[in-house]
Amino acid sequence: MNAENVKSQMRKGTLEYCILLLLKKEAAYTSDIIQKLQEAKLIVVEGTLYPLLTRLKNSELLSYQWIESTQGPPRKYYKLTEKGEIFLSELEISWQELNDTINHIRNN
Amino acid sequence: MKKTLTVNLGGTVFHIDEDAYQLLDKYLSNLRIHFNKEEGADEIMSDFELRISEILNERVRLGNEVITLGHVEGVIKRMGKVEELFGEEPFSSAGNRQTHHTADEAGKERVNRRLFRNPDDRILGGICGGLAAYLGWDPTPVRLLIFLLMFFFGIIIPIYFILWLIIPMAHTATEKLQMRGESITVENIGKTVTDGFERVSSNVNDYLSSGKPRTALQRIADGLVDILGVILKAIAVLAGIILFPPLLFVLFILFIVIIALVAGGIGGGFGLLYHLMPYADWNMLNQYPEWTLLVAGICTVLLIGIPVISILYAVCSRIFKFKSLPNGVKWALLTFWFIALALNIFFAVRYGIPFWGDLNHWPWRPSYWRNIVQMLHV
Repeated sequence: MNAENVKSQMRKGTLEYCILLLLKKEAAYTSDIIQKLQEAKLIVVEGTLYPLLTRLKNSELLSYQWIESTQGPPRKYYKLTEKGEIFLSELEISWQELNDTINHIRNN
Repeated sequence: MKKTLTVNLGGTVFHIDEDAYQLLDKYLSNLRIHFNKEEGADEIMSDFELRISEILNERVRLGNEVITLGHVEGVIKRMGKVEELFGEEPFSSAGNRQTHHTADEAGKERVNRRLFRNPDDRILGGICGGLAAYLGWDPTPVRLLIFLLMFFFGIIIPIYFILWLIIPMAHTATEKLQMRGESITVENIGKTVTDGFERVSSNVNDYLSSGKPRTALQRIADGLVDILGVILKAIAVLAGIILFPPLLFVLFILFIVIIALVAGGIGGGFGLLYHLMPYADWNMLNQYPEWTLLVAGICTVLLIGIPVISILYAVCSRIFKFKSLPNGVKWALLTFWFIALALNIFFAVRYGIPFWGDLNHWPWRPSYWRNIVQMLHV
């Protein structure tokens, strides 16, 4: 049991939620998602994201189109599906609950 | 100066240094091995390739004509090392990973290691290399041990040559995995094949056929083996020509001896039977219809013969490398055996009980054995 491990587990546990949140605001290229997540200091390496995006796509929470970018070949442009939005609203509730739980424990 | 390769990565062509290519290839195949179990592995891999291609493209646009080792290292650092990506897998729970792990280990234990000669690590025939792979040791101590033992136990030298003849070379990827006792999975086969490919590709100018470059010692041994092989073949041919008629004669004699032994065995068997069942009513045999005796005899021969011959055949096919029996024949033999068993049981019940005589003299009574001992004394 080391702190780094637990920290990264916590970060990664929230990763799906964060990706869905980002895509709810606006559809994005994979590279944009990576950039935003890195800005938010959530992920360190890019490789973590590809399998996760594919899993989310396979569970029909996300969908993508191939869209030409200004620089180079067409790239995947991800957006949230309807199923994804429902899923996200469930996650938001449970995130709120988790938050309350933590606050409750902290303050008592 | 470095050799470069041209690769197609995510639809873009790159010139890449050889060492950089090997690192990238290893990275990608490692990733593939890890993702293989997952749904959408191809898609994940193409995502990786596309992204790597984008990153490398930036390098090219900055004026680097050739992708170097440094660039690839940069890419891997950015994408994440394989250990980083999978060391702390968050998506499957810890419990899942535990079971997965143990399943993997169980798989490893279940694999039968088989002894092969190791074509990738051999000096003389690859026996020590194969033995080392079988035991999971380093080949050098095995060689040293065998070499030292040769001085104390001269018998090792002929044994070595016999082993050379008997133990097969590991040719296919599956056999190489069995040799090392690794489980035969698609990934492992892929890995072995890629390993071999890398070896060939990195030494393509020197040695197309064999994987690794041969050391001086190995090459001397190779030369010796070639010369020895020619001499042995010549001797074998000569011996064959000279010895053929006498050999035929010896075989003929051997055949007759075997027949005699079998006949003697059967005669002796009846004699033994007669002694073992002194209370049997041998006269009753005359009262049974002849065909029952014939069928019962054939059934008994089949009942004993089929398993004995099958076992002998299996042992011989292992040693001399014939094909084992086709499945159809195996099933037919099994069916015959069961028919023979059923018929024998039938005969035993129908005719055997009166034949045996008084129930008091059956072998589970001590009196039976006492009587036999007495009979034998008399």
